[in-house]
Amino acid sequence: MGKITIAPLTRLEGHGKVTIKLDDSGKPADVKLHITALRGFEQFVIGRPAEEVPRIVPRICGICQTAHHLASVKAVDAAWGAQIPSAAEKQRELMHLGNMIHSHALHFYYLAAPDFVLGPDADPAIRNIVGVIDAAPEVAKKAIAMRRVGQSMVEATGGKPIHPVTGIPGGLSKSMSEEKRDELLAEIDTMIQYGQDGLDLMKSLNEKYLDTINSLGVIDTWYLGLVKDGKHNFYGDTLRFVSPDGSEKMEFKPAEYLDYLGEHVVEHSYVKYPYNKKVGYPEGLYRVGPLAMINVCDSMSTPLAEEARKEFAETFGRPANQSIAYNQARLIELLSACERAKELLEDPEIVSTDVKAEVEPKAGNGVGVVYAPRGTLFHNYETDDNGIVTKANMIVATTHNVPTMEKAIQQAAEVLFKDN
Amino acid sequence: MADKVRLGLIQLCGCSGCHISLLDLHEQLLDVLPNLEIVYAPIIADVKEIPECDVFLIEGGARNEHDEHLIHEIREKSKVVIAWGTCAVYGGIPGLGNLYSAEQLKKTVYGTETTDNVGELPSDEMVPPLTNSVMPVPSIVDVEYVIPGCPPRPEINAGAIVALLEGRDPELPKKIVCDECPRTKENVIPETFKRTFEGTPDPEKCLFEQGYTCVGMGTRAGCGALCPSAGVPCRGCYGKTDEVLDQGSSLANTYAAAGDEALKISDKSALFNRFTLPAALISKKQE
Repeated sequence: MGKITIAPLTRLEGHGKVTIKLDDSGKPADVKLHITALRGFEQFVIGRPAEEVPRIVPRICGICQTAHHLASVKAVDAAWGAQIPSAAEKQRELMHLGNMIHSHALHFYYLAAPDFVLGPDADPAIRNIVGVIDAAPEVAKKAIAMRRVGQSMVEATGGKPIHPVTGIPGGLSKSMSEEKRDELLAEIDTMIQYGQDGLDLMKSLNEKYLDTINSLGVIDTWYLGLVKDGKHNFYGDTLRFVSPDGSEKMEFKPAEYLDYLGEHVVEHSYVKYPYNKKVGYPEGLYRVGPLAMINVCDSMSTPLAEEARKEFAETFGRPANQSIAYNQARLIELLSACERAKELLEDPEIVSTDVKAEVEPKAGNGVGVVYAPRGTLFHNYETDDNGIVTKANMIVATTHNVPTMEKAIQQAAEVLFKDN
Repeated sequence: MADKVRLGLIQLCGCSGCHISLLDLHEQLLDVLPNLEIVYAPIIADVKEIPECDVFLIEGGARNEHDEHLIHEIREKSKVVIAWGTCAVYGGIPGLGNLYSAEQLKKTVYGTETTDNVGELPSDEMVPPLTNSVMPVPSIVDVEYVIPGCPPRPEINAGAIVALLEGRDPELPKKIVCDECPRTKENVIPETFKRTFEGTPDPEKCLFEQGYTCVGMGTRAGCGALCPSAGVPCRGCYGKTDEVLDQGSSLANTYAAAGDEALKISDKSALFNRFTLPAALISKKQE
């Protein structure tokens, strides 16, 4: 029996390797995805004053730090029963969208696009963002601009573009200035246009790669995402599970997550395997992220993105089960994030200074959920009378996807080995 | 240095924020990139083996045996090694794990409320064993330069790269965060200390003098005092200055001026060494 090891996994943030065991006839018999790093945030936030935790947990991920900052501060708000002003909610949401724009632009253009723009067989030495800059400078220019505007949005509301700091229990430590708002407004229409250009690019790539998209990494799983009144929502409200064939739906609020999510320790990975507890392990494995978000919502919350979602459903079905279709789903969300950011920038409350409510530390238990760029993100803390963290649980975005990534790699390996 | 610098980049026990901060040069990237040949960078390219490099930027310290192994391999293959970002230089936030043993850390992570098979642990040979503590890069191998910051600002990254291209030593800011902070000081010691969410700080005055637990006076400049400018106290993410041996001791020294009130501040070890515990004089909790 042979064994293939792919290490390290590349063009991703994080640490992993893949092992593929082959049977006597050379077919892949067992595929394992090993996540090889552990830092232990759930332990070392214990003993910290809860208001400090939103300043610690962003270091879980340098790409989606804002999502961690906001899920964390929401969890502390919930534990202490803080009611935050509506202007603070809107400014936090804008911070979140800025991170979404940066991260989705990064993920598609810098990490995924090299395979499409330069081709999957191109030399690894050029099959990267530097190669994209040389081969398609106009695409790279738009990608850079979208990241820049996204990061500026986070800095304007969060104080820092990477590892923002303004989220404190009760609201925000500062409001956005009118000057920054005006700078962002001046660029947002261009960003919406770039968002549409990205989808046009993807559609032209689909013509070339549709067979691959419809054959590699195609698996049936449950899907988990966030909705508000049934519509796609980046920032929170209601979690929704949809079954592999789309026939069954389950909805729950963040505070009810213990009833719906379980995690299973496995031998071969530092990551635990989350699953839909109502279905059980391993039948209840699910996917999160753009594909899942598009699959679980009734509609997008912004008009141009909704048009794009309908077209997506026509191309890939509903629910779509093609892992490579994550790319197009991500671009629909990138467009939607730009559209929603424009709505918020045009809202007078986005520069209101009424962004902080009085709050008292107390013993409590709070859950904070946002949709991080790679999937639903859960932070849950328990605090003592002084507001010091005594217990913590975090189920971070990519963690939810690890078990189903393993399934998708297994499926892709079976297809590729059959062909060769 | 040669015309094009053969550059390697890696993220070990970090978050990739330093890599992202390099990308945050945005349009300026197009000026910097033509001078570099990126020969190894798992985050953005598919090269699997570490080649010979002119300059290697290591983000993150070591939390497991594989990280440690890679740091040695990179040292052997690189002319210039830079500990890049606070995790690589001082241990960073993951260094707070040094307040607990590796065993305790795993017990908690694999014993959360959502876990259904508590008691089982990852054990496969493909999962590298954790080291007993988080170790900064300079505690494992000699490095030519350090660039602290969580993350280092894009202009600090660019400045270091340009300096190396021109054959100069990269220079770090020598001052403290207070020197960059726009808030005004009256040279008073606070009578009591407040937590960040308590009250509304005066937007013009020094946060420490208003009783907020700012640690800018013990922290290297370079960030532009972004946190105090955004209404929250500095947490020390650029680490110590060249003038002192230890960030935590230097801060404890300042806070001691407030007398007993300073003793009432909760969680002082993770406040004064929030980002630098693995490099501190007292770097690990007694077990």
